[in-house]
Amino acid sequence: MVRSALSMGNRPLSRGARSGHEIVPALSVALASLLAVLPIVSAHGWWPNAGLLMLLAWRMLRADTWPAWVAAPLGLWNDLVTGSPLGLSVALWTAFMLAMDVIDRRTMWRDYWLEWILATLLLILAELAQWRVAALGGAPVRVASEWPSLLIAPLCFPIAAYLVRRIDRWRMGQ
Amino acid sequence: MAASAGPRPGWSRRAQYGLFFGFVAAVAAIVIGFIMLVLSLVAPNSYSAVRGAALDVTAPLSSGLNDIATTVTGLASGAGDYCNAARQNGDLKRQRAALMRRMVEAKAVLLENEELKRVLALRERERTTVATGRIVGSSFESPRRFAVLSIGSNDGVAVGMPVRAADGLIGRVVETGHFASRVLLVTDRANIVPARLLRGGLTVIATGRGDGTIDVRPLEVGRNPFKRGDIIVTSGTGGLYPPLVPIAKIVRLDDDGAIALPLADPGRASFALVEPPFEPAALAEAARPAGER
Repeated sequence: MVRSALSMGNRPLSRGARSGHEIVPALSVALASLLAVLPIVSAHGWWPNAGLLMLLAWRMLRADTWPAWVAAPLGLWNDLVTGSPLGLSVALWTAFMLAMDVIDRRTMWRDYWLEWILATLLLILAELAQWRVAALGGAPVRVASEWPSLLIAPLCFPIAAYLVRRIDRWRMGQ
Repeated sequence: MAASAGPRPGWSRRAQYGLFFGFVAAVAAIVIGFIMLVLSLVAPNSYSAVRGAALDVTAPLSSGLNDIATTVTGLASGAGDYCNAARQNGDLKRQRAALMRRMVEAKAVLLENEELKRVLALRERERTTVATGRIVGSSFESPRRFAVLSIGSNDGVAVGMPVRAADGLIGRVVETGHFASRVLLVTDRANIVPARLLRGGLTVIATGRGDGTIDVRPLEVGRNPFKRGDIIVTSGTGGLYPPLVPIAKIVRLDDDGAIALPLADPGRASFALVEPPFEPAALAEAARPAGER
């Protein structure tokens, strides 16, 4: 009786990974970067970088999805699509991957809140880097008009984490 | 959940080497990315071909999505307009009558203006339009204010050309692909427009603030000359922007200047006109990066 209750009907526990499951994470990050082509003409630059959100969410979920250098081509793609200074995401995203490797060795456990805090720190770091690069490029925007983006990016991270969870289940055939 | 231990290779020599070379590749990528970033800050034109190609690839997507969005919002607002058609009709008739009176006045002024110019024998510079396109996207993820225009170098668009809508100035072209181009909006912090106060003609400087508003300062320090509702127009100084294009309307005063809202909303404007620079010599000047000027 216990056995039949646990057997979940005819559904197998896992169907096994889908073919091409290795490229799904990178593909989802590249597609998220491509959200920048949406025809949103905004007076503010408050929206978070969807590619970075997905990248961090994948890295938090699985440490072994990709080697750290994969962030470099993904960052290049992101720079080209979003129109930010070429090289910004390449350096920043790869540095984030290495930082996550270090953090993985230092932290004893991992839970929802800790992941959110780590993601918040990295996202704020990314926004500040973007702000600093804009200032170096001749557009020193006041910090006072930038704080909404510092707030919105961390609040969007759980959405990215949820999406990545769903995509991961789908690609692994669970 | 226990933290994933990260990539721990164990005793396998091959796995250890793999991990080490992965690390070396990541560090190399950071260094290369940093060099690329420095290059794109110091010499922004060095990647113009690559960035133009990226624009060509992504802008048609934005353009198609923009068409869909316009249709959907058009249907929604069209249905809304039917609901209070009678009241709207009355309002519009009143507005039309008022505008008619203003137009007759304006025509009289125009006639007088032409006569005066003939007396002074001033040569009127002909204003042409290089191409007409639509704003299909923007940099909604970054502190910079850029917009994507649906026309590129195939239509004659070149870096430095001013872009305007029917309502007022939008910005200037900073990157071109074959079928699309990127526009630096007047609200960007790096866009400085020589301007005049329409009331009185005082020379002012309009600088974007990066959050959809424009900072306006008088060129001469002194009493704050602005009033709420004042219109700022381009002065034509510098030769890039043609004169007398409306830029913004003052909404708030601060101690020695004012904050203004741009008159042309790039999100609402159905068409964007690319014009040749007022003085063609200014094009070469604009193509040079900001640091050298």
